[in-house]
Amino acid sequence: MLAITNARLHPVSSPAGRGGLLIEDGRILEVGDIRVPETAEVIDARGRPVTPGIIEAHCHAGLSEEGIGWEGNDGNERSDPMTPHVRAIDGANPEDKAFRFFREAGITASQLTPGSANIIGGEQLVAKSVETVFIDEMVVLRPSGMKAALGENPKRVYGASRGPATRMGNAAVMRKWLTRARRYAEKSNAQDPPDFDMVLAALLPVVRGEIPLRIHCHRADDIRTALRIADEYALDISLEHVTQGHLVADLLAERAVPCAVGPSMVHEAKVEMRGNGFENVARMHRAGVRMCLTNDHPVVHGRNLPAAAGMLQAAGVSFDDALESITRAAAEHVGLGERIGSLEPGKDADVVVWSGDPLDARSFCDVTLIDGLVVYRREESGC
Amino acid sequence: MLAIINARVYTGTGQVLPEAAILASEGRIVAVGPEVRIPPEAAVIDARGNPVTPGLVEAHGHVGLANEGVGAEGDDVNERIDPVTPHARALDGIHARDRGFEDFLQGGITTVQVKPGSANIFGGSMTAVKTRRLPTVDAMVVRENTGMKAALGENPKRAHGAEKDRAPYTRMGSAAIMREWLFRAGEYRRKREAGEKGADYDARLDALQPVVRGKVPLRIHCHRADDMLTAVRIAEEFDIPYTLEHASQGFKIAEYLAHRGVSCAVGPSMSREAKVELEGVGFETAVAFARHGVPYCLTTDHPVIRALYLHMIAGIASASGVGDAGALAAVTLSAARHIGIDDRVGSLEEGKDADLVLWSGDPLDGRSRALSVIVDGEIAYEES
Amino acid sequence: MRAYIGARIYPVDAPPFDDGVMLVDDGHIQEVGADVRVPDGVETVDLSGRVVIPGMVDAHSHAGMWGDGEGDASRDGNERPGPIAADVDAVDSVNPHHRSFASCREGGVTSVMIHPGSGNAIGGLCFAAKTRGEIVDDMVIRAPTGLKGALGENPKRGSGKDSPKTRMGTAALIRDYFARAAEYGRKKDADKDPDPDAGFENALRVLRGEIPFRVHAHRADDIVTATRLCEALDIRYNIEHCTDGYLLAEFLGHRELTAHVGPGLSSRGKVEVANRDERNAALLHAAGVRVCLVTDHPFLDVRYLMAYGGVAHKHGLPFDATLRALTLTPAESIGIADRVGSLAKGKDADFLVLAGEPFRYRSPILSTFVEGEEVYTRQQP
Repeated sequence: MLAITNARLHPVSSPAGRGGLLIEDGRILEVGDIRVPETAEVIDARGRPVTPGIIEAHCHAGLSEEGIGWEGNDGNERSDPMTPHVRAIDGANPEDKAFRFFREAGITASQLTPGSANIIGGEQLVAKSVETVFIDEMVVLRPSGMKAALGENPKRVYGASRGPATRMGNAAVMRKWLTRARRYAEKSNAQDPPDFDMVLAALLPVVRGEIPLRIHCHRADDIRTALRIADEYALDISLEHVTQGHLVADLLAERAVPCAVGPSMVHEAKVEMRGNGFENVARMHRAGVRMCLTNDHPVVHGRNLPAAAGMLQAAGVSFDDALESITRAAAEHVGLGERIGSLEPGKDADVVVWSGDPLDARSFCDVTLIDGLVVYRREESGC
Repeated sequence: MLAIINARVYTGTGQVLPEAAILASEGRIVAVGPEVRIPPEAAVIDARGNPVTPGLVEAHGHVGLANEGVGAEGDDVNERIDPVTPHARALDGIHARDRGFEDFLQGGITTVQVKPGSANIFGGSMTAVKTRRLPTVDAMVVRENTGMKAALGENPKRAHGAEKDRAPYTRMGSAAIMREWLFRAGEYRRKREAGEKGADYDARLDALQPVVRGKVPLRIHCHRADDMLTAVRIAEEFDIPYTLEHASQGFKIAEYLAHRGVSCAVGPSMSREAKVELEGVGFETAVAFARHGVPYCLTTDHPVIRALYLHMIAGIASASGVGDAGALAAVTLSAARHIGIDDRVGSLEEGKDADLVLWSGDPLDGRSRALSVIVDGEIAYEES
Repeated sequence: MRAYIGARIYPVDAPPFDDGVMLVDDGHIQEVGADVRVPDGVETVDLSGRVVIPGMVDAHSHAGMWGDGEGDASRDGNERPGPIAADVDAVDSVNPHHRSFASCREGGVTSVMIHPGSGNAIGGLCFAAKTRGEIVDDMVIRAPTGLKGALGENPKRGSGKDSPKTRMGTAALIRDYFARAAEYGRKKDADKDPDPDAGFENALRVLRGEIPFRVHAHRADDIVTATRLCEALDIRYNIEHCTDGYLLAEFLGHRELTAHVGPGLSSRGKVEVANRDERNAALLHAAGVRVCLVTDHPFLDVRYLMAYGGVAHKHGLPFDATLRALTLTPAESIGIADRVGSLAKGKDADFLVLAGEPFRYRSPILSTFVEGEEVYTRQQP
């Protein structure tokens, strides 16, 4: 049993206040006014802030490895715009340095996702940032979704060769395969099942609504195209990036579609990213959009996610909401709202002790716990 | 009939007989031991106390396919037309007169499993051959189909994604292609066995049948730990026999592999780190495998490292912590087991093929020379 | 001061002796011998049962320049599509933090000559360095130590618009380069103030005899071409690789050439190395050629240089000559024998402690010392 005492607790699911945490078997047992058993190991927070582990909801760690180049770049299977049958688990390297940086920055979980070159890019998973060479030991949810993309990226990659070359082409390819997958699903239930088709088989959980299609879209019209297609096929979806979401904020809010917004720290790197910035993210938040924040690691390093939330706070969002955008909201976005993202009894003991205000870029992550185990301590790292 | 007398015999099964003789007849070993009766008609080689070992076994080589010193014309390792070429057969590419075979005899290697390269997800079937120079490769064959070559990691995505601008571009893509074809091969089998329609003859699916039927292992090239784990993941999904080839970062996951009992051909351990995925290549993996009980053999990946040095590599492995007995086994009996031909080669036991080597000194010492190499009871090489 | 006592010492420039004493102070060897008295109060290190040899000198290495699992991003050995890259200096491409230097220390190599690659007919300047350090300039023993040239297959593969397509084309380019450099030199001497040209300046260093031309050549005819080119220019030179050298042993021995033979333990992949023969070093030595055994790291991983020595010895290179080919001869060829290559009074204290006699697999390198500092210690298995 492990106790964290004398903390300034930010449980996210309840108001902040002084108190402690009791942890057993990797889970949170008690929050707040805890009674510390004599046998418990104690981490004295000495008044420092304690938050849930930070979650990067849209991330390419392990797939686009740091400091390696071509050999470590396994994010986009650019052989065809339709590759739902590839799986992040087969490409993600647990030894990517990014995961070490995540532990050091309090990022305890991330959704690992194929890139956005393809209309449908492959199966995603959610991983904890534990140190291991076994990807399976990191996985908490698989599949956590199916990656899809609209807008500039697919047409840039395929426009000159086989297409799609336009936004309408993007939509057509997506529709064509969703239609085929729906037919395949219908036939699979019939007497005479169709020949096995790996691409269509991989799309079955999408058309059956079992996993969300997570659609990369920046521009407002791409966002609307995503919603249009989702309606046509009755899909469970989330939107990824949503840079111009402020232009359609009311619609997004009304429909309560989950949005992973970001990377908002970069400049307007592409035409479709016009308007990128935290002011517009704050507008979406004010309009009531269901959203979390992402750095799209490694576009912006995932370890800077708390700083991004700090910038969201600077743009006018409350501290509590900014913190929620990288914890509970991110957990709900990736489909693990019941398990991670807040400090509540029964949830995974993914916990961070901070040297100061967690959203202040000058603060350090002092201690990181994943599943109740200390995976990083700043005093030991010599920082 | 051929006899070697006054030899220090390493049986390959862990025994060392300080003063023993070996008698061979009709290509087979008929007696080994300190008191073998030598018939008067036998030709006799006096070892003068020098060591005799089983003929070494190289479990992973490209001899005959990677013809040496002749440039592109002699390069028959990778059929680069497509990432899926299970219907290619190493046997059809092996040039029996490749000078690489000289290396094998000089290095005391009497059996080699010749494999297609690692550019393709499925590269083709492999063949175990003796290294004795015979006019046709067919006469050299020990077993024609000893496995199906497969590859993960950098090579397929380099050969196809980067160089040909086609799948696979990524590790995920490589895994998807491997899964797709294993699944299709399974469906093909089911339909053909059930007499269903929709399973017309297909050369590639046909070539994968021995794998999906469990007759031969899929031998999967992988260096990095995560690639090795992807190989295990896929092989277990399809419940097929498999081995891991190279296994360079195996030291990171030795316990896990030991638990599964998967056989690994480790090497080339002396290789330079030419690729990113070779980071950390060295003798740690052999040592970790020995410590944790992973079945493994040592390989040169000839011509990446010349087969000539296999015995020296075993010596370095020994000094690195594997020990002499383990190191010798890793280039004899364990290698034969890896290939699946230990019923015939890999140790000096009655009934096995008479493949043996007389050395000038300690067989694990790089300075020792093979004085005589006997294959199938015939002298295949003698130091001039 | 520290005293290393009890070991069998191979000084290389003198016969070996048992129970030796070596006094090291301030990075240098103060005394070495069997009868050296250890001054009172000096710290002693007991090496009884061990063998001490000089740190090895690798005369052809690309340490810090590419390879070792770093991929394309770190490939810094061959400048531009070619064919003439005479203005570049290997010093500017070497990363001291590259893992290859740790491999050097593990492999017992304490000094290296680092060459540009052989992709160009003229590749740039070589230099000599110690294998320990953080800043390349602090590692330099001497710079430059030669100008790199290449014949045979590699320069023909260049993708530059002027890249040669034939062996005669490569030779013509090299001749032309030196001829134009000589012209440039004449203009300078005549105060005609030609436009500065770093590439020609480097040629002038060769033409004036300040540094040798170090010519990559594998095939016998390429080796002969190297001699033809260099002798016509009357410049100092040596042959890098010299793979077919044994086919011309008498021809080369006659010239008292130095051959940097290697990379050892490598295969016969290219056509120009089809005749690779393990006896090469032995036969060259027997004919009077000065032989250095080189790794061409990463082509032979430098950790296995000692194993390469063992194989050369196995194939006929005498024991003493093998040891010399790994130490003093390369030091002489590079031009740094005043500091390294043997264990003698006044030289740098670069040495190896072996578990037993050299070239045995049971005698691994236990420690590597550079200038008196232990820079590698073998972990016991």
